[in-house]
Amino acid sequence: MTAPPIYLDYAATTPVRPEVVAAMEPYWAEHFGNSGSAHRWGRKAGAAIEESRSRIAEALGARRREIVFVRGGTESDNLAILGRAELSRAQGTAPRVAVPATEHKAVLEAAAAVQSMGGTTTILPVDSEGRIEMAALDSALEAGLCCLSCMWVNNETGVMQPIPEIVERAHAAGITVHTDAVQAVGKIRVRVDEVPVDLLSLSGHKIYGPKSVGVLFVREGTEVHARLHGGGQESGLRPGTLDTVGVVGLAEAVCLAVEEQEAYQSRVTALRDRLVGGLRERLNGEVRVHGEHAPRAGHVVNVGLPCGASEMLMISLDLEGLAVSGGSACTSGSTAGSHVLRAMFGEDGPSAGVRFSFGRTTTEEEIDRAIAITARVVERLRPSGATA
Amino acid sequence: MIRAGSRVLVAMSGGVDSSVAAALLVEQGFDVVGVTMKTFCYSGTGDHGKTCCGLDGIVDARRVADTLGIPHYVFDVEEDFTRDVIDDFVSEYAEGRTPNPCVRCNSNTKIPDLLARGRELQCDAIATGHYVRIAHDEGGSHLLRGLDRRKDQSYFLWGLPREVLPSLLFPLGELTKPEVRDRARSLTLATAEKPESQEICFVPTGNYRDLLQKRLPGVHPALEPGPIVRRDGTVIGEHGGYAGFTVGQRKGLPGGFAEPIFVLEVRPGSREVVVGTRDELDVPAMEVAEVNWHGDAPEPGAELSVQIRYRAPDVPAVVEAREGDRLTLRFVEPQRAVTPGQSAVIFDGERVLGGGRIRRALTPPQCLRPDASANDSIAAFSSSESSSGTLTSTSTI
Repeated sequence: MTAPPIYLDYAATTPVRPEVVAAMEPYWAEHFGNSGSAHRWGRKAGAAIEESRSRIAEALGARRREIVFVRGGTESDNLAILGRAELSRAQGTAPRVAVPATEHKAVLEAAAAVQSMGGTTTILPVDSEGRIEMAALDSALEAGLCCLSCMWVNNETGVMQPIPEIVERAHAAGITVHTDAVQAVGKIRVRVDEVPVDLLSLSGHKIYGPKSVGVLFVREGTEVHARLHGGGQESGLRPGTLDTVGVVGLAEAVCLAVEEQEAYQSRVTALRDRLVGGLRERLNGEVRVHGEHAPRAGHVVNVGLPCGASEMLMISLDLEGLAVSGGSACTSGSTAGSHVLRAMFGEDGPSAGVRFSFGRTTTEEEIDRAIAITARVVERLRPSGATA
Repeated sequence: MIRAGSRVLVAMSGGVDSSVAAALLVEQGFDVVGVTMKTFCYSGTGDHGKTCCGLDGIVDARRVADTLGIPHYVFDVEEDFTRDVIDDFVSEYAEGRTPNPCVRCNSNTKIPDLLARGRELQCDAIATGHYVRIAHDEGGSHLLRGLDRRKDQSYFLWGLPREVLPSLLFPLGELTKPEVRDRARSLTLATAEKPESQEICFVPTGNYRDLLQKRLPGVHPALEPGPIVRRDGTVIGEHGGYAGFTVGQRKGLPGGFAEPIFVLEVRPGSREVVVGTRDELDVPAMEVAEVNWHGDAPEPGAELSVQIRYRAPDVPAVVEAREGDRLTLRFVEPQRAVTPGQSAVIFDGERVLGGGRIRRALTPPQCLRPDASANDSIAAFSSSESSSGTLTSTSTI
């Protein structure tokens, strides 16, 4: 009787794709060794890890030794920013970092933590399309920084920052650049041999890989201080026994995502345009797309709809079988306003949008049903047409 | 009235009662949507989630919802809760009274908020895990005591606006606590063995003085030393702040008297805590304010039954006067523990007729002139039987 629920929250996480599950399978029980051990079990695991490292390096245009395995995107962002700050402190300078206001919380909170290390954090403003303000960037660069961190693709809006230009300006000022590319790898072209970022973070579970595994790319010659202490794995940068299963799965996921990136991007962009067009048609054009005029990746779109209370909207959509996201979900599962939208529109602007994000299995039929459900719920909740 | 198949919004605190309430509704064929109200910021309490509505509560409610196969959401009502419940709690203590925050929460925050949101989510009814019953007849909807008198929570619900009653479901009203636990166990709900919460949810340590200190402005008389006096004015000692005292309390009073002494009255104007013997605790009448009726208001002369404390029996009383939302009641037998701030709930048998907040206890001369100035600090005396702690009803529901 009821149609199956629709998942349009692929920017939150993705299922692990079958090829990845298959690649991981032998490493749970058969090749279970510790990659640090000298015996054959260890060698088997070690070989798988190094093979994975090579594959990821190749997919990104990096060198093998520049790939550091970590436990996911948040840890990768933290290691980059706090690792740079710690280095700065060890050299006797108070660390200074700068990040745009629209960064993921992993970056914003890591940057804020620099202050407790006696350093300073500069939050860079963005314009109403979500793009970094270049004048503010330049003045931050002039003041000197141990790290500039700027995400490639925004997780809430899909807005792309001009990373090549930012890197150029930063490098001209001698500043190290980190980019959170968690929503970029596999979605847009990301090659570190073409764009000379110094540090780059990626995560497995946004690209049909396992959760809790990721990479920090550390360009050769870029110094970062470790944040954990232990057995010296990952050149001491991220000690701890490596998760062979996760690493192998991550490599498979990265390779597949990068290989399919172009086709994927054009497919999800078409789905996005179908959704926005359909919503505008059904809701008499009263649909704002946040960051519409900025260059955007197509797998995420953030829309403002003509009804209040985003929390009630999210719940109503879920009850109707449509899973989307509003702002960022906190640990308790309640929804709060979005810091990204606040950064774009100020305190008095729209603070809540609905994020739709698309995946490789999303169909046009699902988009059409999502349009119908959303339009129906919005009509019900909008202040003028309150009939409920 | 509320048919099976209707969509019902059920408040799930993460405790065993509301878990079973949700489970019963699922069994009865309702389209159940679970919600947890996040009422205040737990990070400031130094206690992370021991109480029912803490983050643990949210997590547990979510586990139960998953077991039951129902959706679950969190409503952040912190702002409303702070204004309607915590601020009121603090100002009541500042006025020398002893509030029932759970009454305020249910009447002003929880149930109205659930109703409003429930309407937006196309729910036909809302449900909670209170041990009370609802009966519907041609005269309307009536709130009744829970069948398990030891758990009955009707005392906390007199403040519900009359018009919300038809939209309420109380699935536990006919069950006993052991039955509820058994149901939770047989359904293997994560909350089956969760202990009863005893403290006020926003005072998890039980020490409300800390909260008052934090929320009252600067140096507040409620937390400043003042005299302990007998009714004749004799000063017998000093206290560390009248907010620490409630009528009927013995703890914190000087010893060495022939008979034990109790707090009779708190006078915020003079910071006096008035004490006396057990016999001085008996009160013939009281004035009740902020009265809310679930049916027609009784006329002067009407006999009714009133409960003046959680878990106490209701006792007969006569309406002496009624003016606006104020009511003067004369007890048929003098009563102890008539504590300003506590609820007075009026019953007709099992049925809740209404209730209000006890404003003051009335001494005999005042009974003759019920409109005597309410703020006169000489006015009231009152009592309770507790030998040590306070009688504040703190059951979290």
